Amino acid sequence: MELWPEVRCAVRKKIAFFILLGWLLLLIGDRIDELRVYQGAQIAMYTIALASIVLLTGYSGQISLGNGAMMAVGGYAAALSLNKLESPVWFAFLMAVFFSALFGALLGAAAARLSGPYLAGTTLALAVGLPEIANQFAFLGGVPGILFDVGFPPARFGEEFTQYKWFFWIATFLALLSLFITSNILQSRFGRTWSAIRSNPLAAELSGIHSSRMKILAFTISSALAGLAGAVLAMTISLVAPGAYTLTLSFALVTGAVLAGVSSLPGVALGALILVAIPEIADVLANSWGGGENFSNYLPGLIVSLLLILSVIFTPNGPGENLRRHHHKKASEH
Amino acid sequence: MIRETRRRGAWLAATVLAAGSLIATALPAYAETGVSSSEIKLGITLPLTGAASPGYNKIGNAMNAYFKYVNENGGVYGRKITLIQKNDEYSPQLSIAKTNELILKDKVFALVGPLGTANFTAVHKSVGLAKRGVPSLFLNTGFSGFAKKANYPASFMILPSYAMEAKIIAQFLKENHAGKKLGIVYQNDEFGIDGMGAFKAAGTKFDVTVPYTSGSQSAATAQTWVSQLAAGGAQVVVFFGVTSATAPLLAVAAGAKYAPQWILGSVGSDPLTLRALGVPVAVLNGAQTPAGNPSPNDTSDEYVKQFQEINTKYNTGTAFDDYVLQGMNIGLMTVQALRAAGPNPTRKGLTSAIETKGSTFASVAYSPLGYSKTSNVGHTGYYMAVMDANGDRKPFGGTVKLYTTDSGSGPVVLSTFKRPAMPAKGLPSNS
Amino acid sequence: MQKLLETLLIGVSTGSIYALMSLALVLVWRSTRVVNFAQAGQAMLSTYIGFEIASRTEIFWLGLACAITAGALLGAGVDYFFMRVLFKRAVSGPAAVVAPVIATLGLLGLIRSIVGLIWGGEFKSIEAPASKNGFTLGETTIPFSALNLLIIATASLILITLAIIFQRTNLGLSLRASAYAPEIAQLAGIKTARTRTIGWAIAGGVGGVAGMLVTSYNFLSPYSLDLLLVFGFIAAVIGGLESMVGSVIGALTLGIGLTFILNYIGTSLVFIGGFAVLIVVLLLKPDGIMARGKVRRA
Repeated sequence: MELWPEVRCAVRKKIAFFILLGWLLLLIGDRIDELRVYQGAQIAMYTIALASIVLLTGYSGQISLGNGAMMAVGGYAAALSLNKLESPVWFAFLMAVFFSALFGALLGAAAARLSGPYLAGTTLALAVGLPEIANQFAFLGGVPGILFDVGFPPARFGEEFTQYKWFFWIATFLALLSLFITSNILQSRFGRTWSAIRSNPLAAELSGIHSSRMKILAFTISSALAGLAGAVLAMTISLVAPGAYTLTLSFALVTGAVLAGVSSLPGVALGALILVAIPEIADVLANSWGGGENFSNYLPGLIVSLLLILSVIFTPNGPGENLRRHHHKKASEH
Repeated sequence: MIRETRRRGAWLAATVLAAGSLIATALPAYAETGVSSSEIKLGITLPLTGAASPGYNKIGNAMNAYFKYVNENGGVYGRKITLIQKNDEYSPQLSIAKTNELILKDKVFALVGPLGTANFTAVHKSVGLAKRGVPSLFLNTGFSGFAKKANYPASFMILPSYAMEAKIIAQFLKENHAGKKLGIVYQNDEFGIDGMGAFKAAGTKFDVTVPYTSGSQSAATAQTWVSQLAAGGAQVVVFFGVTSATAPLLAVAAGAKYAPQWILGSVGSDPLTLRALGVPVAVLNGAQTPAGNPSPNDTSDEYVKQFQEINTKYNTGTAFDDYVLQGMNIGLMTVQALRAAGPNPTRKGLTSAIETKGSTFASVAYSPLGYSKTSNVGHTGYYMAVMDANGDRKPFGGTVKLYTTDSGSGPVVLSTFKRPAMPAKGLPSNS
Repeated sequence: MQKLLETLLIGVSTGSIYALMSLALVLVWRSTRVVNFAQAGQAMLSTYIGFEIASRTEIFWLGLACAITAGALLGAGVDYFFMRVLFKRAVSGPAAVVAPVIATLGLLGLIRSIVGLIWGGEFKSIEAPASKNGFTLGETTIPFSALNLLIIATASLILITLAIIFQRTNLGLSLRASAYAPEIAQLAGIKTARTRTIGWAIAGGVGGVAGMLVTSYNFLSPYSLDLLLVFGFIAAVIGGLESMVGSVIGALTLGIGLTFILNYIGTSLVFIGGFAVLIVVLLLKPDGIMARGKVRRA
């Protein structure tokens, strides 16, 4: 790889940044109560999942409504590894990444010739159909699913160290690791190639880029990320079941990605935060406005949808783009 | 260089935003566990909407109505009971999320009446109810696994287990439908499999077996069930599933002019709900079902009469049916349990109160309660009933013949148990 | 033999409802190059309105008529107020790929939430206009009822009406022209924007019919039409998105195929079966069954 010494310096800075970030989150985790710690684990999970969308849609321009299904593959792979093979936890997560990457490669190969609505339709069908496979094979646990037990936190952390805090630690570590690796990939020539394919496929082909191979690679890596997120999700609810990976989840992922900027990797933290915060906020609103069951059931959906529509209309490329445009305006005025 | 700084700026901004909002919304250190000087907070997760909700979504409001009645008459040692209902749409994932909210956010004292086999199994493991020491009282599920004290140290059943129910049905089949071709439709998860296991142990041979996946029930899938049953020539069909699956099964069978002797499991057999879901009352006529309570229309029963009055006053607009009866009964049991825990209740105290005194509580169901230091078992028996042309339920054979048994290999015996009288005006005064 | 016939008949009945939905999606796609996921939301709202009328007056057909009207108005409204604003703004950057899809998804969620807030999540049902009892031929009763027949008849009527409009009227010509070559159509004096709105209105009305027909035998809830959307979309993709005939063929294929899987294999493979059908079709013909070589794409 050319540019090696420059890359090395930038990478070192990035490693330092991530370690600092991890330390900060650890400290925060010690100060807040258990519910927030649990939500922190969920935010970490969504961060990984949204990163997969950013890579696939934001960079390589392929729309997928089925990342929830890839999360399911990862979740089930991890659960089976944990339960049937009685493997250590880290191996289970590795299996999640491996199998979802495999599925992603297969899906990418099948979908390489598709684009636009055809790709959307295929991934939509996958999102609806894949979790149903669990009902067909007994060893996949059916509708109630399989229990996913990563075990209690190590005893040396003491009595006060709750299960949910353990989840938070594992999830945050995996999220930071995934973000680090993904950001390196996106800043490398892979990321540039994908952007090229997305903005002008014809020109990309003409300049010698092997479009379908790169697209399949994008699907593979994106699915690997989604699979890891799926395993983390399974860990937080101690359960792998088809109902945890519904079409609604796939939609929520695309929503979160668009809200925070579909091609902005830093934005995934924000998007994840929004996804976890909205039901909370809606709950608070519903309670303070009174209103019946209907209100609290449907208000979160209303807020999310409204936010989504507004953001697509006003900031289709995420809030970052508007800030940049603002900067450019200011710069050109000088 | 500029781009790098800007990008790093974006990273930093995102981090600060994330950290800031987490801290800003953080609550101070753990509050007390659901009991204050004026209030006891209880929580329930149940399907208020969704495919499995018809019928069951009334249970929470019925419990609430009873609690309101008690609150207006002095509460429990002066404390008002607050019930927080959370909708889990019968989905185990949602049950986990909502129970987390109940325990970590609403900080309830105990869970009461959580509904669903797969739901409670998932919740107990995922939320770690045992480790947290949160009691779960009077589960709205009959899965026999929940009776094992070692696995579920602070959970108490109230319904007879599905294994008990299956054994009693098996005995009934032997005595009244010997020699006929038998069919069964059951929900293909722990709920239905619990029953199937007991049928097998009791030696019942089904000629047609139709499992269905929870959530897949609809007119279209019921079509396939009926085709299989009719093709197999089943003359007596047992149904072990939820009400929203009973309805299409009966409706489709009626449309296809297939009319076997129906034996509807207790979970999915409430006539009022079935009729609301489109089952003609003529189809219900003659259907047999195991029942634990008197019919909700039987105003000669002191429990039913009192509960109906409470329902009219505190739960206006809701018709009084099996689910309302069940909800109010759980309310009655809960208040007795809270009283037995004393004027300064703790979670541990609540658990031991039910273990030591629970078997003497007053309940509308006819069978004895089995709570003890070594058992979480609630009610232990059923009597067989038949639906008439009005959709009302009458005991099979005219009088209530109560059978009791266990979830294991114990025999099914005819019981002469007489349930305790209802406390005066439906307000417990036990301690 | 009887089972085969039953499966075929039910498959056609189910497929004909999918055909209505997929037709609506194709209509919108051809005129706007957008897959309108909100179609399900529009259909749902129209159906709830139809349900209100039908349950108050106890006349199904009146409810149906109202649903069609409501659907048409909604469709036109969505295009006029929503889509035009969207296209003015979200045209560049990486989001251009996903923006219209996401926007319609957001609209679906919005409509669903509003419906839930107004009507609640309780299951509702409508009196079917025909009996649900299977036809009896001598000894046997097949699971194909008068209602199924009525559904096929209604769907066919709508399809034929649309075909006549599109092939034989000036409006149809304008619709096809505006979709295929908007600039040229404009030069020829066709008001493309208004024509497009009419197209959306027709699609909305058709969606309303689909929703009402489904509700005649299934419960109505804010989520009850989701499956219709998914299968309608898959059917449209199978048929090729460019051709209305194709979407009908795709829908019937899907309906029959899924019913086969339901009857012969079991419920749990239905969805994955739909996915398999889709993948097979797209692997062989990435532009759908009816595609003829290089067709104009987005």
